[in-house]
Amino acid sequence: MEPLLQHLERFSEVLVVSSTTHVSTWDPATVRRALQWARYLRHIYRRFGRHGRIRRAMERRLHNRWRLEGGFGSSPVPGLTNFQALGHCDILLSLRLLENRDLGDAARHHLLQQLFPGPGVPDTEEEPLQDRLACLARRRSAVHLLCFYGYKENQNLPEDSLLKTQAEMLLERLQEVVKAEAEGPSMFLSSLWERLPQNNFLKVIAAALLQPPLPPRPQEEDLELGGPKTPGEGGQELVHWLLGKSEVMAVFCRHLPAGLLTVVASRHRELSRVYLGLLTDWGRHLHYDLQKGIWVGDESQDVTWEELYDRFQSLCQAPPPLKDEVVTVLKSCKAQDGDFEVPGLSIWTDLLLALGSKRPVLGLLPGLSSLWATLCY
Amino acid sequence: MAQDSVDLSSDYQFWMGKLSVWDQASTLESQQDTCLHLPQFQEFLRKLYGALKEMDFNTVIERFPTIGQLLAKSCWNSFILAYDESQKILICCLCCLINKEPQNSEESKLNSWIQSLISHILSAFRFDKKEVGRFTQGLGYAPVDYYPGLLKNMVLSLASELRENHLDGFNTQRRMAPERVTSLSRVCVPLVTLPDVEPLVEALLTCHGHEDQEILWPEFFDAVNEAFLQKKISLPTSAIVCLWLRHLPSLEKAVLHLFEKLISSERNCLRRIECFIKDSSLPQAACHPAIFWIVDEMFRYALLETDGAPEVLAAVQVFTQCFVEALEKENKQLKFSLKTYFPYASPSLAMVLLQNPTDIPQGHWHQPLKHISELLRKIVEDQTCGSCGGPFESWFLFAHFGGWANTAIEQLLMSEAEPPAALLWLLAFYYSPCDGSQQRAQTMVEVRAVLGCLLRLSRRATLSARDLLAAAGEGRDADAGPGASALIRRLLLTFLLRVPGGRAIARDAVALMAHTDEITHEIIGFLDQTLYRWDRLGIEAPGAGELAKELLQELHAQVQQRM
Repeated sequence: MEPLLQHLERFSEVLVVSSTTHVSTWDPATVRRALQWARYLRHIYRRFGRHGRIRRAMERRLHNRWRLEGGFGSSPVPGLTNFQALGHCDILLSLRLLENRDLGDAARHHLLQQLFPGPGVPDTEEEPLQDRLACLARRRSAVHLLCFYGYKENQNLPEDSLLKTQAEMLLERLQEVVKAEAEGPSMFLSSLWERLPQNNFLKVIAAALLQPPLPPRPQEEDLELGGPKTPGEGGQELVHWLLGKSEVMAVFCRHLPAGLLTVVASRHRELSRVYLGLLTDWGRHLHYDLQKGIWVGDESQDVTWEELYDRFQSLCQAPPPLKDEVVTVLKSCKAQDGDFEVPGLSIWTDLLLALGSKRPVLGLLPGLSSLWATLCY
Repeated sequence: MAQDSVDLSSDYQFWMGKLSVWDQASTLESQQDTCLHLPQFQEFLRKLYGALKEMDFNTVIERFPTIGQLLAKSCWNSFILAYDESQKILICCLCCLINKEPQNSEESKLNSWIQSLISHILSAFRFDKKEVGRFTQGLGYAPVDYYPGLLKNMVLSLASELRENHLDGFNTQRRMAPERVTSLSRVCVPLVTLPDVEPLVEALLTCHGHEDQEILWPEFFDAVNEAFLQKKISLPTSAIVCLWLRHLPSLEKAVLHLFEKLISSERNCLRRIECFIKDSSLPQAACHPAIFWIVDEMFRYALLETDGAPEVLAAVQVFTQCFVEALEKENKQLKFSLKTYFPYASPSLAMVLLQNPTDIPQGHWHQPLKHISELLRKIVEDQTCGSCGGPFESWFLFAHFGGWANTAIEQLLMSEAEPPAALLWLLAFYYSPCDGSQQRAQTMVEVRAVLGCLLRLSRRATLSARDLLAAAGEGRDADAGPGASALIRRLLLTFLLRVPGGRAIARDAVALMAHTDEITHEIIGFLDQTLYRWDRLGIEAPGAGELAKELLQELHAQVQQRM
């Protein structure tokens, strides 16, 4: 077992080196050997994918390596990051070498010969590397064509393919981290939060929180065995992290569209409570401008009346019990303020009045109703 | 070889011109033209690779000074990269251009330029959205990890959008604009054979616009149909039905494709014909009457063009039988009335013909036969029955269910009673539909005489093949038509299999009869058809089955020898 794990580590190092200037010292024999290693590990992947114990040992070792490499993917080109990557480690290696300008002429020439022996050349492999590389190129072109000519960003953010794919990846990683780290994925998520563009990350988190509990792709395709893969579990980890990180939660609730937050809130009750708490907090910062006749904040970062109204209005369209809870919260705030019925004295009275006068009927807003249709199961 | 290289050079010029025009793939015309030429261009790339592989670098540059330009233009065309194996062949062509031992910096530069093209093909089209790239990289993922998943999500999202479009036609806000559907069908042309894209192809085929106009590109239909016929994709029957209903040329191509397969397959093997027919999905799709009419029309033309060749007739019958099976499977309660499929036929005749003989006890088969004969005779002889389309239409309808004619022959031979006129008429009509009533009456007389002879012969203790053939010739009009002769040969052959005395002399008699290739094939066809029919109808013919199989083998061997 140990020799196998060491092989894994060595190959992972080779993979890291393959995108550095060190490849300038590689000769054709080095390239050939590296590719042979990759082929061997791909064989290991197919051989032990369904072997729980061995697979878990390999997963643990790979994960630890990845961590050591520089703490959760902060290095731009990691080695092997999970067991799944073993399945296409030959592609990873080939692409990195091809893109590396430091690879010498002879070595490069040899690489191309190895990768593309030409059509019709008999290959001993079941799915020749040449064909898998071509298939990847074909898929990339397909994505490009669909993106360019047929694709439109989906108004339902969690349904958007780009976001959905990122959410699936995040959940998959979370799953691995949960398995490997005793203290849970909190550190991992926080490091991502610090490093990645936050606006996109927030949307991905929301999409991940809304992924259906069942794995989206059939399991046998991935040689999946290490326990059932349920993004729902990863979602739970995300909820815990958000609950522990009040500043992230505040940005999350402030920056995402109202409709999306409502759907997230009705799916995750723990989050809905914090969300309502934040909304009432923000509301308390507003005061009534007598001259203009509107509710305003003192500081520029304060929430506006319109934002607050939009969020409550969207929440009131949610199915019960969330909707009832929202009304209860508004009413109790109103009672705390003195239960006035006249506008301009308590923001809660005004919000309730505004919401009551234009009480929207669920289903009349096409964007939101279709969100419900796709997300309520 | 020299001719090949001239061809390649002129092809090269042609494609160079095309690629320059396609360069601006932004215009609809250039996209359409690209889609139209993708298979041919791939073929050209293959030929080019074959030539490049054999040449050294200097020869290549000498013969094709602009080759770098040609390949580079191809590398930047996403339609080409997305099509079938083009990206792979393109890479292989580029690999041929790499100079193993670059002599100067110029050659090294060229090498690295070619390598950058290869890299471009393999990692083409990074996202212009930076944050997505940063996010995936931050998670430690490479494009190879997520492109399959991304493509799958895009395909499913587009497919569900199209389905909503279909269901939710009135909600104009959620509707996919027809132009978008059109452009989607266009970009799917190169993608049709990519398994990941199948759900989208299916959704496009089943999604209708709300206008009368077709919103999908004709090239899309062509590409899907071609891929389906070549078995490069599999699609549910519902999607195939949509394809063939929406695009008539595709349906015609599918039927012609089946015809070609039937023609190139072994003659006289109904089992194989049945496999081809079922495999074509046409019988299942024909449950939709509009498709049935077209297929049937094409069979009708094939019959007319071949003067009713027995092979075509057999194919029509097997097709009809597969179609009826599919119809029963598809809907226990018929969605469309039978009349819909045979609009010119009398409904009662269609009903009787469609009866499955296995639903009737074997002893009662003469009843539906008589009924069929009476109905047909009435239609054929009653010239005023304009709506039924004349004798040919009636014959064509009956020919679909030609198994009944064989049953009639067996019924006549198995009974010692006076042959019923209805059955004689039915056979005379089936074998020579164009005869006038006088000629038909003559044929009936001849058949009756032959039947009488056969009956007498069957009672004899010993029987010789020569006696049998002489009996068949007795009382025959010297210039009886080919139909009547074929009918009498059928009677003899059936007699040889079904009557105990006949079986004893079958080998000799067949040897005497099979004096020309044409008749040998006819006998082979008869044996194959009989075995196939008995098997289907569950007819047990002890002794006859084995004999038929043996004779069939012997005749096959004989034909092989003669060839």
